[in-house]
Amino acid sequence: MPRYVVERTFPEGLEIPADAQGARACLGIIERNSDDGVTWIRSYVTGDRSKTFCVYDAPSPEAIRRTAGRNELPVDRITEVRVLDPYFHF
Amino acid sequence: MASTIPASGFELLERSAELRALAAALAAVDETGRGKLALVRGEAGIGKTALVDTFTASVRAGRVLRAACEPLNTPSPLGPFLEIADGVGGDLARVAAAGPQPYALTAELVRELAAGPAVVLIEDIHWADEATLDVLRLLTRRLESVPTLVIATYRDDEITRSHPLRAVLGEFGARALRVTVEPLSPDAVAELAANSGVDADALYRRTSGNPFFVTEALAGDGKGVPETVRDAVLARASRLGDEARALLDAVAVVPPSIERALLDRLVPNADAALDECTSVGMLRADAGRVGFRHELARIAIEDALPPGARRTLHRAVLAALLDEGGAIDPARLAHHGEEAADTESILRFAPEAAARAAAVGSHREAADQYARALRHAAEVESAHRAGWLVQRALSCYVTDQSEETIESLRLAASIYHELGDEVAEGHARERLSAYLWCPGHVEESRASGLHAIALLEPHGPSRELGAAYDQMAFLADQGSRPDEARLWRERLLETSIATGDFELEILSRAEGPEVAFATALENGLIGLAGSIQQEVVGAPLWQRRYEAADRSLRAGLAFHSDHGLELYRHYVLSWLAQCALEQGRFDEAVDWADEVIRTPRASISPRILALTTVGVVRARRGDPDPWSPLDEAYDLAIPSGEPRRIAPPSAARAEAAWLEGRDSEIAELTDVAYALAVARRDGGIVGALGVWRRRAGLPVDLVDGIDEVHALELRGEFAAAAARWAATGCPYEAALALADTGDEAAQRQAFDELQRLGAAAAAERLRRAGVRGLPRGPRRTTRENPSNLTTREVEVLQLLMEGLRNSEIAERLVLSERTVHHHVSAILRKLGAGSRTEAVARASMLGI
Repeated sequence: MPRYVVERTFPEGLEIPADAQGARACLGIIERNSDDGVTWIRSYVTGDRSKTFCVYDAPSPEAIRRTAGRNELPVDRITEVRVLDPYFHF
Repeated sequence: MASTIPASGFELLERSAELRALAAALAAVDETGRGKLALVRGEAGIGKTALVDTFTASVRAGRVLRAACEPLNTPSPLGPFLEIADGVGGDLARVAAAGPQPYALTAELVRELAAGPAVVLIEDIHWADEATLDVLRLLTRRLESVPTLVIATYRDDEITRSHPLRAVLGEFGARALRVTVEPLSPDAVAELAANSGVDADALYRRTSGNPFFVTEALAGDGKGVPETVRDAVLARASRLGDEARALLDAVAVVPPSIERALLDRLVPNADAALDECTSVGMLRADAGRVGFRHELARIAIEDALPPGARRTLHRAVLAALLDEGGAIDPARLAHHGEEAADTESILRFAPEAAARAAAVGSHREAADQYARALRHAAEVESAHRAGWLVQRALSCYVTDQSEETIESLRLAASIYHELGDEVAEGHARERLSAYLWCPGHVEESRASGLHAIALLEPHGPSRELGAAYDQMAFLADQGSRPDEARLWRERLLETSIATGDFELEILSRAEGPEVAFATALENGLIGLAGSIQQEVVGAPLWQRRYEAADRSLRAGLAFHSDHGLELYRHYVLSWLAQCALEQGRFDEAVDWADEVIRTPRASISPRILALTTVGVVRARRGDPDPWSPLDEAYDLAIPSGEPRRIAPPSAARAEAAWLEGRDSEIAELTDVAYALAVARRDGGIVGALGVWRRRAGLPVDLVDGIDEVHALELRGEFAAAAARWAATGCPYEAALALADTGDEAAQRQAFDELQRLGAAAAAERLRRAGVRGLPRGPRRTTRENPSNLTTREVEVLQLLMEGLRNSEIAERLVLSERTVHHHVSAILRKLGAGSRTEAVARASMLGI
């Protein structure tokens, strides 16, 4: 399955509290993704929380967009990526 | 296991989560009145039947209707649903007894189920015949309107890539409740093994927690844990006496279970032996039937029979069944005939079973039965054999076995040729022409059609000849040769009048396609009606009357869905994708296209359109990998040599190159399609390709018949073109034409519009082209309102407030039901509402 980096912008800043409510929010996303075979691997968030770089495994870019719509997440750009491991050669 | 008589009476271990999931689904069905499909899956022996038995025993309100598919090589068509109909009685039983098509049986079943809450349980659908899967598919599509929980069980490890169940799972997988039955844990195995003297760890390791294997091993001879399920079953059977073992063998050759009367004929005076088998738990018996505790056990015993003994038993079963007289299912007789290596019975019953299967739409089984007969037909008269080949070809075609269809028809045609039967050969070659076209063998298709006409014309007007003219007219249309098509149609009309043949009258559409459609429908010619309806529902789209197109395509989709016309349904799905794409509704377009691409079929036209849609949407959005779908579509289309098939992916590839700023490649990407379209004077296609060639600075031949809006662009009247596109309902094309005006304000407007449509790559192309004054940064997202609902969600909410169902909302807003479903979920979440009613109440409070 292809891997994608999805860039998102949150003008108001992304707010996921580190408590039960935040956990519920994340679990909800994971479950809604599973309908389309989309797996959220992890996200990198900028210091001001206005932009995220999210790593996904998904069958297609359309699946990424469909689940983003369902989760009410914005999508700026989807890029297909491969893993490069700098320590692979050691 | 369904193939045996249901178990009862012992506590299930480790199944409470699965039972709760099913109970919650049933509760939701009861509360909302809308049905649901639950798929219960797991390997053989994992305990699917035990789970659903326990669940159905707990159902308090409403009926439980259950049946199982049979593990025959070629099962009886509609078996499980006929069994259910028989149990229900009334109108449903009457319809079922008449040998119904799947859609007719489904319609009656839906009427029956509308009466009140019910659970419909179909077990072992990995063995289902095609008509049964059709009913399941049609029933599931209508579940929104009946309060029924449909539970289907299957072995997920036996669903290969080409298994027919795949298509059904692909269509419903995402919406269905999936319950996976897992192996038992080491603790549960230890609990079962307590006091047995068997080492629980060894038992768990060997059985991997498969409950059937565990219980068989525990019932064995106590000499340690057997290697395989088979060994466990045979060890258990080895403790039986000779008479009991003989009885067991007889039961094993009659899947899934044997009628008592039949067993009495095979093994007279077997009461004591039967008692022995049931007391050790190998067999179960009720008033009417005797069967194994599990299909795995039956297979182990049947496979352990020496070949000679096995044949002898099947021969005895066959003789006993024939001796009984009465109406015996020919599929069953053909099965035992083949197992008994009895050629005479196979040749007698397999074609009979095939005809019966084809009549109810179980074409896969029909094709298998004809193949079975043909395998043993060396001595059969050749005209007979050719007839079976033609029949087999028709069934293979419907089930999308394209190669077999073509092969069978070629063979049949050559047999008829040797026999000198020119009319029959002509008919075979006319069908061959039709089936060669679908997968794209256009030249051969044309040659075969002309050959058919040459054979048939000397024999004077006939239905076969008329059908051949119709086929040639179709090919001429598809090849953009309208004048030729007209000539063939004239001949068809003459033939229709000369013969007075009813089907030719419909084919000639003398009074227009609408009347032809209605006449075909009135007379129960469903396939013909469906094919004529394609013209009716597609026309508004070709004329860019989008409001009418949205409506007519949906009506067409509903018709084909209800009647199980899967090929035509695929065409309409691809047109819906195109229709949404042209109106700038990209999300919806890829949803429709996805449905086409998910189910691979031999017919290439719908696939070409669907892949083109997905590729071009990716290109416009700037999403990854637009080229794989576009290249696949182009490669599928090109061997056909037909402008209509080649043009859409060509134009899309030109657009994708343009969006990436590689304008110089547009010439090469469109040359083939453009040259073909110019040569055939197909103005519609010349115009569609021409607008991209013009953007690359290439000259365009202004042939007759170019769409007015394309002509405006080609003449450089961009503002007028933009206005025309906008008025037609094509916002993306309007924005591109606006950008072409070169006017700065118009370009900024085009940029905003492209952003709004989500065509990020197209907007980016404008920016790269140096249009000044364009905003930077991310585009605006969800429009703010008190509860953060998007414009679309507000629209959906308003219809919810009118009390509409998802299906009705989908109809009204021209969205797919899946999209509406997601909007409704989002609305509930944003309003913090637990139900639709609650959402409506909150909305009126908030004044939305």
